[in-house]
Amino acid sequence: MFLQLTLSGVSQGAIYALIALSLTVVYRSTTIVSFGHGDFVMAGAFLTYVLVVAIGIAFLPASLIAIVAMFLLGVAFSRGLIGPIRGGPHVGLALMSISFGFTLRGIARTVWGREVLPMPRVFDIDPIFIGSVVITGDALFIISIVAVLLVVFFTVLHFTDIGKMVQAVYQSERGARLIGIDVERFHNFSWGLGAALGAVAGVLIAPISLLHPDLGASFLIKGFAAMTLGGFGSLAGAVLGGLLLGVAEQYSGAYIDTTLIDITAYLLIIAVLLIRPRGLFGRKVVVKV
Amino acid sequence: MKFKPKKLGLLVGLALAATGSAAADETTGLTDDSIKIGVMGPFSGNASSYSKAEIGLMAFYQMINDEGGINGRKIVAVQEDTGCDPAKALAAAKKLIHQDEVFMLHGNSCSGAAVAIKPEIVDAGLPWIVAHAVSDTISVPPVENIFHGVPTGNTNGEAMAAFVLSKPDTKKVAIVEHSNDWAHSYSNPARAYLKGHGIEPVAELVMERGQTDATAQVLKLRQANPDFIIGALYEAETAIFLRDMKKYGLDTPVMGTAGTDLENTLKRVGDLDTVKNYFVLHPYVDNLDGPLMKKWADMIHKYYPDEELTNFSYISIGSGVALVEALKAAGPDLTRSKVMAELDKIENLDTGILSSTITWSPEEHRGAKSSAVAGFVDGQPTVLKAWNTPY
Repeated sequence: MFLQLTLSGVSQGAIYALIALSLTVVYRSTTIVSFGHGDFVMAGAFLTYVLVVAIGIAFLPASLIAIVAMFLLGVAFSRGLIGPIRGGPHVGLALMSISFGFTLRGIARTVWGREVLPMPRVFDIDPIFIGSVVITGDALFIISIVAVLLVVFFTVLHFTDIGKMVQAVYQSERGARLIGIDVERFHNFSWGLGAALGAVAGVLIAPISLLHPDLGASFLIKGFAAMTLGGFGSLAGAVLGGLLLGVAEQYSGAYIDTTLIDITAYLLIIAVLLIRPRGLFGRKVVVKV
Repeated sequence: MKFKPKKLGLLVGLALAATGSAAADETTGLTDDSIKIGVMGPFSGNASSYSKAEIGLMAFYQMINDEGGINGRKIVAVQEDTGCDPAKALAAAKKLIHQDEVFMLHGNSCSGAAVAIKPEIVDAGLPWIVAHAVSDTISVPPVENIFHGVPTGNTNGEAMAAFVLSKPDTKKVAIVEHSNDWAHSYSNPARAYLKGHGIEPVAELVMERGQTDATAQVLKLRQANPDFIIGALYEAETAIFLRDMKKYGLDTPVMGTAGTDLENTLKRVGDLDTVKNYFVLHPYVDNLDGPLMKKWADMIHKYYPDEELTNFSYISIGSGVALVEALKAAGPDLTRSKVMAELDKIENLDTGILSSTITWSPEEHRGAKSSAVAGFVDGQPTVLKAWNTPY
């Protein structure tokens, strides 16, 4: 049972990791906690659904189209709605992201409000049995996709010139401006990337879950919990936090009580904030006076 | 003591107004050719799939109107959205009663919303037929003006447990449920029924709304090795639970609530093998696509051509049939009291759609006291009375 729970936890956690990573990408570059991010995840899932079911495009190209579309939507959101109030108070920026998220949710409710939608199975391969452990197509697909994506993401971040530019902005926006980096464009790109990563999570959720307009809300909390556990602002921490959260949910549900599965994320947030507020990989904030 | 003419006039006026108001209460919402009925349901929000029940009911009203109405009057439905939210439902009820001045209320999915508006409706005294919400607290203890037209939670829970025990050699039963009142309204009566038959659940597990994985629950069930599982889960979670059962090789039969149906569960999970051991409460006389249900499906599509039909689409129609019987019996000089008196006289009414007859009396306002079950037999949805016993 332990191995099975671990595998299932890693599979769920991989999705949480993606959501936490997408939240962190936006947070690191703009210092905005995107409370509307769950709805980007939902929008990515619904867009894929429309492309696959309504238009009849195969799952893979449909997913790519949805991810690109969500990237563009993220950029447009940044340019059109965040840009004009960027210098304003943080609460306004957070409220803008919430409002936009609810707008997306409202659109989905208007179109599909009374239905719970099934996405056709796409990872429908025979499960692999290793002893008593069952490895399903879902788990294989999700873990593989997320692993590849993370390798690409961190390779670009650490070993390319673009990655170095990104890190320069992360360290100091003013410094980045001085060496000629277009920080506004970088912000727009970050919102786009965050939305696209959220959409990847939505694409992975769609076939294993059922779609409804409120889908993103619970995943947003998981993303926050993973982000808190890993350390606010830490990209690697967000990923590890997501994986740990996924596994913790399974262990607590199976070994303690199934009622704990749903509140594990909240308990983790409380515990981390009390015991180690900077999370596993967060940096200690030092204020020079 | 002397009364000045002006004061006397005022008192007489007030007395007349009071008398007039009492008369208006009995016939509010009526004209010579119409009966205004308030229909509340969750027409928006994440529980809006339940409002298919109210759509079916309003289609039934339109059919009655097209057939000439009742005693020369046609039904005018005034629709209000509750969003399945108690506060919103209360506002909707107040609007229908005081602003729209309806003759009676009919409908209401969502027990939480229905329970919240009950005091307002008890005070207002107008007839209210609950046509979808299942909580027993709505109609127990009986109140003069509140009638329950669908099997309640108690009836449903007992029907679920009775079906489970009708499978020979069932000794070990597990329960998986949401931790909300809706799930408890099914699971608690089922627990009580099982206990009455000397059975304690071997596992009692929770799967919350929104969970996309049931690995922990399924693995625990695999360890408990039950003969039957009672699942009080909403539609989405039912599909996920059944998928994960199949994934981990658990083929124990599962008894679900009336909150899901076979056809849509099959559509959601995508293959028959996953749902072949799934049974649901089925409050109707036939399969949804069976010949006895066809006329109701055609009726809904006549008035709502684009409506996608589910299990919920038909649930309120039976109480509509009962209402029409009572309105006819009350005669052309209609009053609220007469309608309530006639509703109280309805006995063993075969609605032609509900598997249970409807019986109301002053002592018992829960009208539908049994429910059939549906399951796949040889790959076909089949209505059952008991394990392996067709309805």
